[in-house]
Amino acid sequence: MARFALTRSASLVGILLGLSVVVFLLEAVVPADPVRAMVGASATPQIVEAKRHELGLDRPLPAQYAHFLSRAVRGDLSMSLYTRRPVRTDIAAFLPATVELAAAALALAFVLGGVLGLLTARGGGTPLRVGLVASASVPAFLLALLLLIVFYARLRWFPGSGRISPDLNAPTGPTGLLTIDGLLAGRLDVVRDALAHLALPALCLALGPAVALGRTLRSSLQTVLRSDHIRTARAKGLTGREVLLRHGVRPALNAPLTMAGLQVGMLLAGVVVIESVFAWPGIGLYTVRAIASFDFPAIVGVTLVMGAAYVIINALVDVAQVAADPRLRAR
Amino acid sequence: MPRRLLLPVTLLAVAVLLGSACTSSPPPPQGGQGGTLQLAYLADMAQADPDVFYDIEGNTVILSVYEGLLKYKPDSTEVIPSLAEKWEVSPDGLTYTFHLRSGVKFHDGTPFDAQAMKTSFQRRLDVGAAPAYMVQPIASMQTPDATTFVVRLKHPVAPFLHYMASSWGPKAISPKALADHAGKDHAQTWLKEHADGTGPFQLTAFERGQRYELTRFDGYWGQKAHVDKVEIRIIPDIGTQRLQLQSGDLDAILHSFPQAELESAKSNPDLQVRDFSSFLNNILYLNTNKKPLSDPALRKTLAGALDRDSLVKEVYGPYATPSSSTYPSGLLDPALAPVAYPPSETTAAAGGGSKLTFAYTADDSGVHRRLAELVQQRLDAAGFSVAIKEVQLPQVFEYVNDLQAAPDMVMQTNTPDGAHPDMWARIEWYSTGGLNYLGYKSPQADKLLDQALETTDQATSDRLYGGAGKIVARDTAIIFVADPRDVMVLRKNLTGVAHVPNYPWALDLAALQKG
Repeated sequence: MARFALTRSASLVGILLGLSVVVFLLEAVVPADPVRAMVGASATPQIVEAKRHELGLDRPLPAQYAHFLSRAVRGDLSMSLYTRRPVRTDIAAFLPATVELAAAALALAFVLGGVLGLLTARGGGTPLRVGLVASASVPAFLLALLLLIVFYARLRWFPGSGRISPDLNAPTGPTGLLTIDGLLAGRLDVVRDALAHLALPALCLALGPAVALGRTLRSSLQTVLRSDHIRTARAKGLTGREVLLRHGVRPALNAPLTMAGLQVGMLLAGVVVIESVFAWPGIGLYTVRAIASFDFPAIVGVTLVMGAAYVIINALVDVAQVAADPRLRAR
Repeated sequence: MPRRLLLPVTLLAVAVLLGSACTSSPPPPQGGQGGTLQLAYLADMAQADPDVFYDIEGNTVILSVYEGLLKYKPDSTEVIPSLAEKWEVSPDGLTYTFHLRSGVKFHDGTPFDAQAMKTSFQRRLDVGAAPAYMVQPIASMQTPDATTFVVRLKHPVAPFLHYMASSWGPKAISPKALADHAGKDHAQTWLKEHADGTGPFQLTAFERGQRYELTRFDGYWGQKAHVDKVEIRIIPDIGTQRLQLQSGDLDAILHSFPQAELESAKSNPDLQVRDFSSFLNNILYLNTNKKPLSDPALRKTLAGALDRDSLVKEVYGPYATPSSSTYPSGLLDPALAPVAYPPSETTAAAGGGSKLTFAYTADDSGVHRRLAELVQQRLDAAGFSVAIKEVQLPQVFEYVNDLQAAPDMVMQTNTPDGAHPDMWARIEWYSTGGLNYLGYKSPQADKLLDQALETTDQATSDRLYGGAGKIVARDTAIIFVADPRDVMVLRKNLTGVAHVPNYPWALDLAALQKG
């Protein structure tokens, strides 16, 4: 276990260093003047240069990178050019919304994917499969708009944007996840409202991963169902459902878990589009703004956090795979 | 729980939670009798500090919370009293005496007086951000009594009164708030997300990336706001904003409504489409610093080949007119600096196969993209070979640093800080102008602008500004394409609409009423 943690930590550091170099190189090859855009057209050249100097952007790129690294190891991700706050503060403010959305989407993807896999493994579930595959094949922004038109504008079942109704005066901590904070504060109205706001964006994000998970689960279940221990279980007189749930699922989880790890990356990428359409105040919205204003400190910060999240989630997937299939421990 | 029940129970729990969630869509909050005005921004305003804020999105917040000495009359370029009831300018154009309104209070209850105004001016200088240019010509400030504020300039500045009326002009900030939250940065940290002005609304919530809340200030000296609250949410997708407007969850979309959808909005009985005169100006910058557009004859051929008047009609419909001057309509008599681009008898060989790169920034209304595509089509038909690309504003600001690598053409829509020709010409085509993206240089035009700035007689100064504009028109370095209207889509029940041409994308929120 210690060796596992050590190798994963080393690869995490390597990946983060690589990502930061890529973003810094991007800054060098894309000609842009974010400082001028930041201070505004009527700023005198002296004001522009003073701001450039203050931000250290008048130094050569390697020097900027060295300065960035020396601060980053202390957890300081410099100042955002757009919000003029420390990037760390910005990320701390925007990340919980994305964590909550991604977690809800992932949970929904597991449920939908699980049901899809289980139903279709035994030859049923065709309407669900057709429905999910059709929905997942629609581009994310279009699906989001369709859901909004039907469930918000027409049926008025769900709210149209944001995380929470402003008049609710929702608790602001301790986790920043409104559903959890609502529960902790005993505010069921907040939990309900937060879930209502979560439903449509989480569904949009969940559909693609759900189909991928469901199909992987189905094919690995079908393989497992042909194996010897299943024949033995059937011979014991267990029903088809008992065989599937008790003896089929666990050995079939390896491939879907690998797929889940990969799908998290897709899901995080989808966050940018979905957060824009649903005005979800998360890291995706922050990234869109940062890219539009060439706010490189913010872009670097988001890249590092997302990169770290991806690596850590995949490490957790590895742990889950070992837990689900003890044979892997021997390898 | 038996394991075989686990899956059905989990599914049931999810269904119940989602089901209960379905019913929780609350009615829009209603404060007192005035109700809550629901608006949206496409992007975060970054900050609410009036001495640093220098964007368009966010103007509605700044103008509702803060006031300056002067402001503009609705639908006009006329400067009218705000915190100054009247003012005098000395014959030499150097001394401005403002007689301040008495009985005005800041949101924290501190009385407003001349000393408070002086403190706010000084803070703008000390902060030294972009809008500081409006107070930098000041040599000294005096406060002979509580309601008299005297400003002495280093040299005459023709647009100085317009600096005072600009939405980005100096605003009165409570001296108590400035002292209490001074820190080491003149209270910049605090004022990023808080406000303490004299305006008709108080900023009661600033949730970055989510929403801002304005609450009526009952101690306001003037006509109090009709609505109790204004809720401004950040909704970055214009399609989502449209859905919310149609559903009644938004009361207005103040800008960037898709041009192609305006006709269908007009036919919606719940909506009203309003368009107002503005100083917005769509312009095409040509790179005169490198081949092929360093050739003035080719630039003229290009301008003619655009068939600009039909282009404007095709893209904007009734919501813009082709520019008649190098200045946005209303800033200066168009006859003093006219432009016209008669369609030339172009043949397919007119452009001589010149390869042109063309960059434009995208806008949410879709106008820039459509314009860029049509410009490309028309120039290609006239024998040019145009490659278009969509870029972000920071990329455009970089062009002037390497004009040989910069594109041959750039398209943008800009607006001046104030309703004065200097505030347009000096940023657009002065050789060091902030929006002179492709580095056009005319020492002669620069000289005329500098003379005009210090000329106290308005007729003379207008002639000088016109002279500078004529040079730019003659050089065809910038093609003035269109004077777009400021188009807004409002719910039908919204009345009391007051708009100032120089405050784009903004309405007077205090005057608005929900029927």
